Order: sequence, then C-alpha cells, then structure tokens
Amino acid sequence: MGPDRTPADAPDLGVQLGPLKLRNPVMVASGTFGYGQEYADFAPAERLGALVVKGISLQPRTGNPPPRLVETAAGMINAIGLENVGVEAFIATKLPRLAALEVPVVVNIFGHTTDEYAALAARLDGVPGIAAIEINISCPNVKQGGLQFGSDPAMAAAVVRAVRAATRLPIITKLTPNVTRIGDLAAAVEQAGTDLVSCINTVTAMAVDVFSRRPKLANVVGGLSGPAIKPIALRCVHEVAAAVSCPVIGIGGIMSAVDALEFLLVGARAVQVGTANFTNPAVTLEIIDGIERFMRHQGLTTLEDFIGGLDTSCRFPFADQ
Amino acid sequence: MARQLELATILEQQQPARQIYRLRLRAPAIAAAGRAGQFVMIRINDGIDPLLRRPFSFHRIDREAGTFEILYRVVGRGTRELARKPPGATLSCLGPLGNGFTLVGATSGQPVALVAGGIGIAPLVQLMAELAARIPRAESHRLMLFYGARNAEELLPESTFEPFGCIVHTSTDDGSKGFCGLVTQLLDQVTRDQDLTFSALYACGTLAMQYHVARWAEQRSIPAQLSLESLMACGLGACLGCALPAPHPNRPGADHYQHVCVNGPVFEPGSIRWDQIEPPPTPPTLVCN
Repeated sequence: MGPDRTPADAPDLGVQLGPLKLRNPVMVASGTFGYGQEYADFAPAERLGALVVKGISLQPRTGNPPPRLVETAAGMINAIGLENVGVEAFIATKLPRLAALEVPVVVNIFGHTTDEYAALAARLDGVPGIAAIEINISCPNVKQGGLQFGSDPAMAAAVVRAVRAATRLPIITKLTPNVTRIGDLAAAVEQAGTDLVSCINTVTAMAVDVFSRRPKLANVVGGLSGPAIKPIALRCVHEVAAAVSCPVIGIGGIMSAVDALEFLLVGARAVQVGTANFTNPAVTLEIIDGIERFMRHQGLTTLEDFIGGLDTSCRFPFADQ
Repeated sequence: MARQLELATILEQQQPARQIYRLRLRAPAIAAAGRAGQFVMIRINDGIDPLLRRPFSFHRIDREAGTFEILYRVVGRGTRELARKPPGATLSCLGPLGNGFTLVGATSGQPVALVAGGIGIAPLVQLMAELAARIPRAESHRLMLFYGARNAEELLPESTFEPFGCIVHTSTDDGSKGFCGLVTQLLDQVTRDQDLTFSALYACGTLAMQYHVARWAEQRSIPAQLSLESLMACGLGACLGCALPAPHPNRPGADHYQHVCVNGPVFEPGSIRWDQIEPPPTPPTLVCN
C-alpha cells in the first residue's frame, strides 16, 4: 500500500445480486451457521454479505437418528434430516434476534409438497427482517420431497411458481448437483420466476464400515460437502451461469478466499461458505479479508471487473507461465 | 465464560500407556475458562484432510500456568497425526465447549464414585482434582475411582491419582491387572461388599459402559452425571450432527434428540433414551481365565 492511499482507494467488495445489495459476496450456507448466534463470538454476522439460516419447514422436524455425519476424504457426509424448529417457532424465537443484526437474512425453506412450499412463502411474506427466501428443492435426505422436486425441471419449476405466487420477497432457488444437466434445471426455475439461483447443494454419497458391515450413517446415504466437492461445484456453476441470465450464487467446498474467487471467476456473483464454518468458525472473515487483499493485489476497485471473467480462449493455459 | 479460538502451543507430548497419549498445551484463554467435563475442538492441521476438528475433553487444567492437557487414544487418522506432533508445534483450539460436570456430592460425607472405561478416564482426572479441592484431605478416601481397561498396558499409572488421595479400584477385561471383568461389574461388587451408598456418581467410557452405569445408578437412585461422546462437526450447535435420542419434553414416546456439543457432553441418565441407541451397546468379550 502506498503512502498516499486513502480510504477512498479501498476496494469495493459490494455486489448487486439481483434485487439484493450485499456489502461483500460472502454468505454463509444454510445449515452451517445455525441461526447466527452460534457463531457470534467468531464471525459477527454484521461482517457477512448475507446469512442463510437453517432450513425451515411448516412443522418442527426432529431430524434423523444418529449417526448423522461421517468424515470422508477432504469432506463429510451428513444426513441430519433437516432438524428445525418449524416456521412459527422460527418467527417467534429466532428471527427477532436475527432481524436486529445488520445483515440480510435469507430464510431457507423446504416442504414435502408444492402447497407446503407455497404456505411457507406466504407465511414469511411481509414478516419484517427477511431479505429473501431460498428454496431448498435439493436436499437429498428427505425421502418424501427434496430430491424428487430438485432433480426434475418441471417439478422444480412448479415449486418456484407456487412460491413466486405466494410472496413478494426475492427468491433464490438452490439447485442439486445430482442431475445430468444442471443447466436445464436452472433454466426451468428461472423461467418459473426465481430471482437468483444458488448451487450446489450436497452430492449424494455414502460411507460403509467393513468391520461392522454397516453403513456409517443411520440414513444409509447422505450429502457430501467440503473441499472434495469443489471441482464438481465449479463445473456446475460454470454450466448454470451459461444457462441463465439471473445472478448465480456459488456453493461447494469453499475453504479460502482463492476458492471463493474461483467461483466468482466462473460466473457466480456471490458465494456461500458452508462446511468450512465447522473447521474454522472465523473462516468467513478470513475469506472476506482475503478477497480484499486479492483486489488490492490485482488493482481491482470493484468485483464487477472480475466476476465471470474466465478466459477459456487459451487451450494451453500453462504455456505462458 | 466466552468460547475462544486460540492458537495453542504444544509444550509436551507423553505416552503414559499403550496407544494413549497426553498432550500439554499452552492456551491461556481457554485454560482460564475451562472446567471439568468441558471440551475443546482441535484442528489437526492447516490443510483440508482430515477436514474436521476433533473433540477432546480437558484432562487437566492449570489456570495459573495457562495450560491444559488432553488425554487421547490413537484410534484413527486424526489422532495418529496428533500423536506425531512435536513440542513447539501449534494447534488451533476452539473452546471451552459444552456444559461440564456439576460438582455435587463432595460435601455430603458419603462416598463419591467416578467410573472410567478406558480412555474415559480423560475428563475424570480434572474432575477428581476439582472434587478433591473441595474435600478435607483426611476425607479424600471418599473419592472412589473405578477404572477399567482392556488390559494392564492400557491403564494410566497409579501415580496419576496419588495427588488426590482417592481410592482406586481397577479392572481389566483380560485380568492382567486388578479385578478381572468389566468396570461395571467391579463397581457393583465393591458397592455390595462394602455396603456403600454413593452421594454422586460420575462416569465416562464407552456407550456400552454408560448404558449399564445409567441403569445401575437409576436403580439405586444415585444422582449420576455421564460424559457422552459423539461424532461432531462444529461443536457449537450449528451442524446438529451429534444427536442422541432423548425423551420428548412434552410428548412421551415421540422422537426427540439432545445434541452432545451444546446440551452435553455431560448428561443425567434420564435425559437419554438408552433403548433407542443403535446399534444396541454390547459389552466386550472377556478373556479371563
């Protein structure tokens, strides 16, 4: 930094995310940050771009029997089963403290039927303190709904249309990677009226123990997250960004500022940090600071000059180095 | 006291028993706030594999020195890598976490039972220290440790417990030291032989051991505190991975879960649905002669 630098020279990390204006592109992913209070000592919500809360359903859910998680190579598989307090308790007990924080709060919702999604969206519409709704149509753990909605473009679009009709809030639709053509899915939900898409949710996976001859999760299968899925997530964001004109939020194995920047480079306008919060509860602050350092290093005053700037014209990108 | 994210320096690593290591760390903020029964989440390395922190209970805490110790058994990749860490290396520690033991029974005049199975001895040594500090030295024999392991080589040396003046009963699965059998059998036998009435019982060990200790204490109406463990990702109540089945507060029989990291790790026997623990805990096969 030169001696003549003034605060005016500080890079602007802010991003416009469709109808949402974020102070920086670093959000926290649903289910990895509780309701904000759990991480207050380490990553004050006021520093985040946005906070996505644990998925909420119409009725409280107790979740799956244990074991609910298992560590795998550079990742973990979870089958929590969408344990949550239900929308009424969320509004009464969790949201007031969240709404008092200076951060956009995104409420992640999931249901078993299109009607349940619509009812949740209608219930949250007009409730103060909510910046947007994120539709979880891609959780692989709920047998009755989740994956079926998420993997079929027509059904996914039906859910989005129902939610669109029920709320004025901005809608983010979270996509599953467990499909052959994620771009088709993204195009379908954009057509149905989503304001943004986020991807990816966890990758369906399993782990087994040869000594007990049992699955390592009581649910047998679960969702893989962490650095192990980052290359899959990058490819998905790359395909989705090409398939839609709405903003894309990149998710999947982000552990560092460089990881986050990779997602921005392939076309995401913001990112969500998930599993890394478990490894390092202050990781989001480190990522935000790292992005700022990168911008200074690259002479970027805004991220607009970097987002989606992937150069695919060179067939041998290592030749110059 | 607030939870801390602190970069701790390894002061010493010892191996007091087979496969069992004791690591002493300088971490003044965590040491100042920690109590017996609480735990820390330790990151094994700066990389992405192993990805998750590992939970360890406080084995000893020295607030004045700004240090604490963990005692761990090498069971997998994380602990194997940890056992190779030299003095001077640093480890990211998150803690103190969880509820910890509530110190009861020390002033009752009645004996207090501490029941340890294998590496379950880890939190009970700090607990022993905190209980002993509340008991006149002449009465320290009221603290009774029942300590079982698979064999003599996996037991901590008796000198570990000498500073507390407690009575130590040991058992091994193979009879290589002390009572030949399970620590729960030892507890039952000594209690009957000496006609003991415990004012409190604290336990840490395998789920199978805890299952039996819970029922044993409940049948005798002994207030018990069990330190339980679970796989966990965050330690902060966010991932909800460390669930154990529990009685529903309002609807008997309905599914409900407690989370080891924030509701525990110390639980009363009645706060866990032992009948729903899967797979059902089975005691080890004994090879006594």
